[in-house]
Amino acid sequence: MDTQVKLQILSGAARYDASCASSGSKREGPSCGTGNTSTIGICHSWADDGRCISLLKILLSNDCIYDCAYCVNRSTNPVERASFTAREVIDLTLEFYRRNYIEGLFLSSAVMQSPDHTMERMVRVAEALRTEEQFGGYIHMKIIPGCSSELVRKAGLYADRISVNIELPSQASLQRLAPQKHKHAILEPMALIGREIATSLVERKASRHAPRFAPAGQSTQMIIGASPENDFQILRLSQGLYKKMNLKRVYYSAYVPVTADNRLPALAAPPLLREHRLYQADWLLRFYGFSAEEILSDEAPHLDESFDPKTAWALRHPEFFPVEINRADYATLLRVPGIGVLSAKRIVAARRFSSITPEGLKKIGVVIKRAKYFIICSGRSSEKPDHSPTVIRHRLLLGEGDEATVSALPEQLVLPGLFA
Amino acid sequence: MMNSYLYDGTADGLLSAITWILEEEPDPEKVTLSERKDTLFEEGFTISTDATQAESLFFRLKQHAPDAAHTLYTFMLAEKEGMETSLLHYVSLAFRYGDKVKGYLTHPAVRDIVNVAKKVGRELHRMKGLLRFEKLQDGAYLAKMEPDYNILHPLAYHFSRRLRAQHWFLYDVKRRTAARWNNGSLQFGTIEQFTTPALSEDEKKVQALWQVFFKTIAIPDRKNPRLQKSNMPMKYWKYLVEKQGE
Repeated sequence: MDTQVKLQILSGAARYDASCASSGSKREGPSCGTGNTSTIGICHSWADDGRCISLLKILLSNDCIYDCAYCVNRSTNPVERASFTAREVIDLTLEFYRRNYIEGLFLSSAVMQSPDHTMERMVRVAEALRTEEQFGGYIHMKIIPGCSSELVRKAGLYADRISVNIELPSQASLQRLAPQKHKHAILEPMALIGREIATSLVERKASRHAPRFAPAGQSTQMIIGASPENDFQILRLSQGLYKKMNLKRVYYSAYVPVTADNRLPALAAPPLLREHRLYQADWLLRFYGFSAEEILSDEAPHLDESFDPKTAWALRHPEFFPVEINRADYATLLRVPGIGVLSAKRIVAARRFSSITPEGLKKIGVVIKRAKYFIICSGRSSEKPDHSPTVIRHRLLLGEGDEATVSALPEQLVLPGLFA
Repeated sequence: MMNSYLYDGTADGLLSAITWILEEEPDPEKVTLSERKDTLFEEGFTISTDATQAESLFFRLKQHAPDAAHTLYTFMLAEKEGMETSLLHYVSLAFRYGDKVKGYLTHPAVRDIVNVAKKVGRELHRMKGLLRFEKLQDGAYLAKMEPDYNILHPLAYHFSRRLRAQHWFLYDVKRRTAARWNNGSLQFGTIEQFTTPALSEDEKKVQALWQVFFKTIAIPDRKNPRLQKSNMPMKYWKYLVEKQGE
C-alpha cells in the first residue's frame, strides 16, 4: 500500500484524539541532528475544524483486536485497515519536520495482536528517531493499556509526553462499551508514570545528567457523551487525577458517532457545548483554585449551559461580592467573572503604581461586560450595588435590554435535556 | 511649555535622541519627540544621530531592566512611526522602576509600547509555526514570508537552534531581506533580484502528503472555518502548503 493512502487511513483514525499540545518540554536539540522543543509549544497550522495542528498525529496501525463500541477502529467496523512500517513513520516525521510543518510526532495505535506487541513496535519508532536519527523534536506517545511496565518505562525515556487514555469515566461504562479494557490496566500505568516522573525530577535535581522521564508530563482523555456519567462525576475524576496522579492535562472529547451501536446514544450532533463547559471547569480546577465540589454538587451535577462555570458559581454566591479591585488578594480576584489569570496578575502589578480606575481596568484587559456586576474600584461601582442574582443573570444573558424582554428568555437554554 | 525634540527618522537616531534627552532633560516624561519632516510649521530642536549612543542606551537598559530592554528590542522590530514620545517616556520609566515597569499598564506610554511589542511577539511566535520550507534541487531549504513586522532576525535565530543540520534560507519578500544558515553560521543580507530556484524532485510529493494529512486530520462533524481563520489569519495563507489550491 502506498504511503499516501496509509497516511490518509491512519491520520483519519487518529483525529479523535484531542491532545495536540507540544508544550512543557525544553530541549536543546543534538548539535548534529534535527529539532528542539519549545517550553510554550508551537502550533503549526489549524485544521478545518479549527483545532490546532502541532504534531503529526497518526496511528501506527488501525488493525484492532478490540471491539470498543465507541471507537472507529473497532474490530467489527468495516473500515479499510493499514499499518505503517517504522521506517515510514520516521521518514514522514523527519520530512515534515525539516519543512517546519510540525513540532513533532504523536504516535498512537490500535491494538495489534497484543498490547505488548503493539507497544514494543511503537517504542521502537521513538527509539530509532531519538538514537539513530538524532531527532530532538517533540514526541507524544500513547501507552497501550495492558502492556508491560518495562515498555512504559522505555517509552517515557524517549517521549516528551506520554498518555494513557481513560476513554470512559467509570468502570461500569468501560465494561459495557469496551469489555476488553479493564480499569486497572489503565490506572496502573498511570500511577507508574506518575512515580517515574517524580523520581526523575528528584534525580535531575541531584544531577542534570540524570535521564529525563516524560519531561512534558502525563495526560489522558475522556470521551464525553458516549456514556451516562454526569459532569460532577467527570470533574471529580479529573480532580483526583490532577491531585493524586499528578497529571498535566485531562482532555475531553465530545463523542462523535462513528459506528451505529445500540449501546450508544443517538446524538444529533457532538456535544460541543458540554465539552467546552468541561474545559472551562477544568481550567478552574487547575488555575483558579476551585474544587470540583464548589463547581457542582450531587443536587446539581450538570454544568450550566448558559453560563460559564465561574459565572454560575458567582451567581450562587452573592455574599462573596462585590470584590474591591484595589485591595482584594490574587486568589479573590481570580474568582471574579471576567477576570482571568493574566488580568488578575496585571491588576496586582498595576496597583503598585497607582490605584486602578474602572477605565484602567478595561485597558488591563478585564472583560468589563461580565465583571462589572461583581466589582468595585476604590468604593466606586459602575453598577447599582443592589442587583439581585436574578437580575444579573438576565442582564448577562440578554445585555442591558429593558426588563420586560427578560421574561421572554428561551427556556431550553437552561434545560439540561440537550445532551441527556 | 513642553520642550519638543526632533530626530532624523532612523532607529539609531531615535535611540540616540532618547539617550540625549534622558541626560539633559530634568523631566523627560514632560517632553515630546518626533521625526523631523522639514515642514513649515515644525518646531523643535533636532538631536543629531550617534550610533554608539544608541547602542549604549540599549546596553545600559539591559543591565538595569532586561525585560524592558527586550520589550524595547521587540518594539523596534515593528518599525512603527509616530510613537517616539511614548517610547521616550517608556524608557525613562524603565530606568526609574526597572523591570516592574511592565506592570504599569495603566500608564498610557507603557501600555502603547507594551501592546505594540506584544503584537510583534505574537507574529514572531505565529511565524515559528507557519513558516514553510521547500527543498531545493541542491538540497538546501528555502522559506518565503511576508510578515507585518521585521521579525527576520529573531525568527532566523529560532531556526538556527532547530534545523541545525540543514542548509536553509529565510526570505522576507516584502523587505527583500534574507537570512542564511549553513554549517553552523548565520548570515543576514539583502536580495535585490530574486528568482525562484528549482525545487527538488521529491518536494511536490512531500507537499502532497502534508496536504492529505491536513485534510484528514480535521473531524468532519466539527467543521469550523471561522475558528480556523481567527487562529490562522488569511494573510498568512499565501505561503502555506496546505492552503494552496483551495
